[in-house]
Amino acid sequence: MLKQTLIATAIVGATLGSYALIAPSQAAVQTGAEARGFMLTNADGERVSLRDYRGKTVVLEWHNPGCPFVQKHYNSGNMQKTQAAAKADGVVWLTINSGAAGKQGDLTAAEAKAMIADQDFNASHYLFDRDGRVGKAYGAKTTPHMYIIDSSGKLVYQGGIDDKPTANQADIAGARNHVTEALKEIKAGKAVSVASSRPYGCSVKYAS
Amino acid sequence: MIATLSHTARYGMAMMLALLATLLLVGPAQAQSSFGSGDTPNISAAFEVESEAPKPGETVTVALTMSPAPTWHGYWINPGDAGIPATLDWTLPAGVSVGELQYPVPDTLIIGGIMNFIYEEDYALLLPLTLDKSIAPGTVLPLSVKAEWLACTDEICVPEQDELSFTITAGAGAVSDEARARFDGWRSRLPAPLGSEASYAVSGETIRVSIPFPADSAAEEPYFFPLTDGVIDYSAPQKAMRNGDTLVIETAARSTGGVPLEGVLRIGAHQGLSLTAQDAGEAAFGALGEGATAMDDGSGSALAAGGTTTFFLAFGGAIIGGLLLNIFPCVFPILSLKAISLAKAGGDEGEARSHAVAYTAGIVLFCLALGGAMLALRAFGAEIGWGFQLQDPRIIFVLLILFTAIAFNLAGLFEVGNITIGNDLAAKGGSKGAFWTGALAALVATPCSAPFMATAMGAAIVLPPLAGLLIFVGLGLGLALPFLLLGFVPPLRKMLPRPGPWMDSFRRIMSVPMFFSVLALAWLLGQQTGNSGLIIGLAAALTFALFLWWVGRRQQQGAERSWLPAAPALATAAAAMLVLPVAAGGVAEASAESSSETLASTAFSETKLASLRAEGRPVFAYFTADWCITCKANEAAAVQREATANAFANANVAVLKGDWTRRDAEITRYLEEHGRSGVPLYVYYAPGGEAKILPQVLTVDTLTSLVS
Repeated sequence: MLKQTLIATAIVGATLGSYALIAPSQAAVQTGAEARGFMLTNADGERVSLRDYRGKTVVLEWHNPGCPFVQKHYNSGNMQKTQAAAKADGVVWLTINSGAAGKQGDLTAAEAKAMIADQDFNASHYLFDRDGRVGKAYGAKTTPHMYIIDSSGKLVYQGGIDDKPTANQADIAGARNHVTEALKEIKAGKAVSVASSRPYGCSVKYAS
Repeated sequence: MIATLSHTARYGMAMMLALLATLLLVGPAQAQSSFGSGDTPNISAAFEVESEAPKPGETVTVALTMSPAPTWHGYWINPGDAGIPATLDWTLPAGVSVGELQYPVPDTLIIGGIMNFIYEEDYALLLPLTLDKSIAPGTVLPLSVKAEWLACTDEICVPEQDELSFTITAGAGAVSDEARARFDGWRSRLPAPLGSEASYAVSGETIRVSIPFPADSAAEEPYFFPLTDGVIDYSAPQKAMRNGDTLVIETAARSTGGVPLEGVLRIGAHQGLSLTAQDAGEAAFGALGEGATAMDDGSGSALAAGGTTTFFLAFGGAIIGGLLLNIFPCVFPILSLKAISLAKAGGDEGEARSHAVAYTAGIVLFCLALGGAMLALRAFGAEIGWGFQLQDPRIIFVLLILFTAIAFNLAGLFEVGNITIGNDLAAKGGSKGAFWTGALAALVATPCSAPFMATAMGAAIVLPPLAGLLIFVGLGLGLALPFLLLGFVPPLRKMLPRPGPWMDSFRRIMSVPMFFSVLALAWLLGQQTGNSGLIIGLAAALTFALFLWWVGRRQQQGAERSWLPAAPALATAAAAMLVLPVAAGGVAEASAESSSETLASTAFSETKLASLRAEGRPVFAYFTADWCITCKANEAAAVQREATANAFANANVAVLKGDWTRRDAEITRYLEEHGRSGVPLYVYYAPGGEAKILPQVLTVDTLTSLVS
């Protein structure tokens, strides 16, 4: 009886052991790793590929116009200012909307163009990622969620726009703008001192 | 306490005057202040101070109560992948200070693959407010606070904020019963400090967090809510495993570790333990998971991506497990008897096959029903093991009577017609009888295989419901396989001994393991219902056997309706079952506790403590919890020892035990008064003396020297 019990226990143990082999897959990109390429359609209906900007520094900004955390940085002009400074230094700024059709922040191309004009966006492109494929590939969780890719195609920053995780415009003044600081360091040929931070905001409105 | 509201500058003064007027009329009875937001907020918030007149030099609890509207939720201190926690910005007069916000145990909410740690029902954030002792009673203290919180639905988020000004008046610290009850309810949802250190290890993209947690303590839907950001991938499913006195959480890692990992382990609905896990290094990864057995995972989807190979391994394991059950003593006699009846069929192929198929169907359907019932029960959050039907002593009782009848039948006391199984349904001839014999075999297999199959059941429970059910089917198939083979592979049947007089001897011999099964059931019944339950069970079995003997006599005499005495037999058994002590869990626990406690104790209460001290008796009070491993270790090493018990008995020491497993509010207050946030706590009161707090790690000497 003892022998049979031992055999049975071994079988059960082997069965259970196989569960340990299951490790959930992770989509996020590690800082310092090669940034994944993508091709998305912009508000003018043109195809935009990350590959087009090889050799340039690229900022990715996850956007949802209905999110109060995004509004904090747009209504205050903080995001436009950050975009303008980047643009002046030859940095490409891609604003990406991964909101699924019918979810909050889902825009038609015309609505997006009106918004861009109305809010004085300084982004290079406003891109649609309705199936969320690019957002998930980058592990974008929140709006805003910021990424910086250097001229060699490596991801050098990912995280929040700044270090004050609130929806209050008054907090912008005392905050460290991680993107502005990182771009300054990249321009000066230095390593990015804060290469990742905790993003904050609304969740990206993926379809599932 | 006077409370005034000032929302924004525009309405502030008018509202303040209006509210002051109201409060002057109503008086201080209602110490609750709501934020006066112009719009209806999606999460309405209000402040309440536990005491209407906090005492200088003491700390009083302030509650920020949050009531999310339907479909809305607020956030935990670590909001998860998105969202933000509430913030409070206080403006306080001199001598008043506030501590950290304390958050109740949250829930998980996954939206579009993004994890949120949230509250969907009403909840309260608590914080301690301390008045300096230099403040004179009667002093009116103006306080103001700006609160910000994020309210979200699955679709949208709205930041909400408000400013509240109110005054408190220093006083004697009285707390009304209603306020106390309300605050105690909120306090019971805060995580309790675990009191011992956990560890974790990262290997590749997987992290294992190993948490000291006693083996006999229950954990429902365990889930680790990390406070430290960046170590754990929040949206990855978590798998909980038990291994002796540790609970292991396995999930996806976000870093290679290196920092202390703080968090809260959920062990039940709104029940949690706060803990810190230290990085034990990658080398420890294997050891942390070794020997651990899977239990219910928090999200129920850990195996959704688990691939079919895992499932087939588990399925195969279940079949082999079921096969092995055939040689267990309480199943084998039934199998043998089916084999005998097959042999009796005398080589009729069709009948053999239909018997085999019916028998298999009986087993598989019973296993399916059992699995379905188990999964349904699991959905209700019941803590169950494979032998869960055995937790009701009435089931044991019925099995005891049934097995007694089977054993005596095998021994030749009476006959049941063609198929010699003492069960009316199984006794039906042909396929129908075979079907019920199969079901009976599966039922009978449950008790003797419970400890052995528990781990396999753990695996079945982790799987999604359909796969879980298929595991049960596998078990049944395995159990039925030998008989199925006999039915369909005639050469095998030819290896069966031919019918003959040996069958009777064989049948008599088979009664022996059956009688042993009866003994095992009697033992189980005794464990569950105590001595009186055991005697009731045995007396009923004896009476039943006597009536069956009578049946047997009538059968031998060829009497008509020889089964008549079975009616009073069944009636006596039914009557006995009614008087059987049925409070299964309670009785079992109570008897287990009293017998295992060397040092007898009474439940702690402040009044009990006060009356014992008034009597001038020395008192030893100890505070413990089922999930507290340090407590268990101290109890085993020092408290529940013969030497301690004798010394205490000689000195007439009264022993009080405070069980803090469910965060009893009275014990919480006692712990706080003695400077502790959790258990263990050991206190000794010499006659007429004050409380002496004993060290966290006890020895027998520490305790015996108290009274020598």
